Amino acid sequence: MDQEPEEKVPLFKKWSRWYVLVAGFLLLNILLFYFLTKHFS
Amino acid sequence: MSWPDWIVLALTLLGMIAYGLYKGRTSRDLDGYFLSNRMVPWYMVLLGIMGTQASAVTFLSAPGQAYTDGMRFVQYYFGLPLAMIVLCISFVPVFRRLKIYTAYEYLEQRFDLRTRALTSGLFLLQRGLSTGISIAAPSIILSSLLGWNILWANIMMGGLLIIYTVMGGAKAVAYTQQLQMIIIFGGMTIAGFMVIHRLPAGVGLSDVLHIGGKAGKLNIVTTGIRPNGGGFDWNDRYNLFSGIIGGFFLALSYFGTDQSQVGRYLTARSLTESRLGLLLNGLVKVPMQFLILLLGVLVFAFYQFNREPVFFNQSQLDLLAHSKYKDSLVWLTRQYEAAETSRLAAAPSIAANAVTPADRSRAAARLLAAEQQKVGYKATVRRWLDDKAVGGDSNDTNYIFLRFVTDYLPIGLVGLLIAVIVLAAWGSIAATLNSLSSCTIVDFHRRFSSRPMSTEKEYQLSRLYTLLWGVFCIAMAQLAYNIGNSLIEAVNVLGSMFYGVILGIFLVAFYRKKTGGKAVFISAVIVEAAVILFTILSRQGIVKLSFLWFNVVGAVGVVLFSELLQPFMKRKAV
Repeated sequence: MDQEPEEKVPLFKKWSRWYVLVAGFLLLNILLFYFLTKHFS
Repeated sequence: MSWPDWIVLALTLLGMIAYGLYKGRTSRDLDGYFLSNRMVPWYMVLLGIMGTQASAVTFLSAPGQAYTDGMRFVQYYFGLPLAMIVLCISFVPVFRRLKIYTAYEYLEQRFDLRTRALTSGLFLLQRGLSTGISIAAPSIILSSLLGWNILWANIMMGGLLIIYTVMGGAKAVAYTQQLQMIIIFGGMTIAGFMVIHRLPAGVGLSDVLHIGGKAGKLNIVTTGIRPNGGGFDWNDRYNLFSGIIGGFFLALSYFGTDQSQVGRYLTARSLTESRLGLLLNGLVKVPMQFLILLLGVLVFAFYQFNREPVFFNQSQLDLLAHSKYKDSLVWLTRQYEAAETSRLAAAPSIAANAVTPADRSRAAARLLAAEQQKVGYKATVRRWLDDKAVGGDSNDTNYIFLRFVTDYLPIGLVGLLIAVIVLAAWGSIAATLNSLSSCTIVDFHRRFSSRPMSTEKEYQLSRLYTLLWGVFCIAMAQLAYNIGNSLIEAVNVLGSMFYGVILGIFLVAFYRKKTGGKAVFISAVIVEAAVILFTILSRQGIVKLSFLWFNVVGAVGVVLFSELLQPFMKRKAV
């Protein structure tokens, strides 16, 4: 089985940072939506 | 539709076909036809993933959904970013390393041929049928509102794209999806600005949010827990928990095991660019869906200051006008119009006197008190349409946005927005046809053929299968129209019946290395039968479980059953 060569991760040092960014941004979205729901209800 | 709108529509569609043919030139082999020779950059992977997921109904239905039910539908996408992370960690590196054409090839390497054939077969069955519906649903809406012939609408929605998809394969699909998404985003942004522009002077986005909030349209995050300690409502479709858990399993299954999506990120230049496309999709999908739903709230606020039709789908009112309710309809329309006239006379002054945030909140409440009067009239129309003697369609949600477009947007922009709807259908259907063809040739024809084929023969057959699947899907769309809404609902449920089980097979493959093919195959068959039974019981109201949870039941069921069965199976070590 051919292995794909390891490539440099864009912007960050590790892919795990990307995963934290995506999960953190989701959490931020949910908090913002919760605030909008409460504020305008 | 006016002739300038026709010109805008025709030029956009013909331009797209020409662009697809021009950009779709590739090597005459399976690598070129199905994988674009793995040369697609990350931003095209991203737009391809988004274009494949977003169908015409996404743009027609989502604003209408926010208009009627509020913005809580956005929660359906909360599990998607988490699924993107799991895919990048587990699925994508394996698919890339094995250099496969279809996701199901991996299952033969991991388990056996029958598991691969079962999973690919389930995909072909479910996707083939549901793509017909993807063509039929927007065609029915356009033909109802604009008076188009349904066959021609189906051919425009699902037929013209076959030209560039057959000729250029995955490369043509990737390049056209890129351009389609740019036109779609542009068109929807202009539509949003036009709604705000048409609001009365002094009414801005803040007032819109107050009006939407007071009317319960800004219910973006809901828990699904019944008030007064009634417990969790498992039948509630969209809430925080069903969105994160059910949505996660659905997104993992759709992006990780559905060839129409796997085929997009396998075309990337490298593993890094596949991952980047998926992760950026995880970043932008939720905000994008929020904005599309916000458009529905904008349209709702717009109709607080403008005359709203008693029913958006005019063809259904025409149906009532020729039924036993024709005299009642005349009376109801007169009453409704009088109520609308007095409501609209008061609306601008209420809004104009609102200066402080507290004023705005009170003004929104007064406007909505008047809005409540309309609800009764609309409910009566829906009840008449539900009468079996009338045989109408009382679901008006999908017609709200397009009716606003045709009634209130300027000439030229109507053509552009109709083009946006058609292009959204094309992006999704083209990717699906490409994936249906790749599974047919790679997982079945080539795999079970006793005679080896030349590269040129494989290429020609791939084009032929793309064409045949395209014709099949249009035939299904035409059949769906003739049979009616019951089939549309049935086939939509079909997807959630199979996705969970397919995901379960892949989860065992990736995470349970000691489990063999026989255990997983038997488990998949048993759990699939159980999910079908659940679906039937749910539709009859015996089991109260929303369809998003079927994905969880299917996936977890296959993993657990195969764990239980494995000790009783004789198998080779992996």
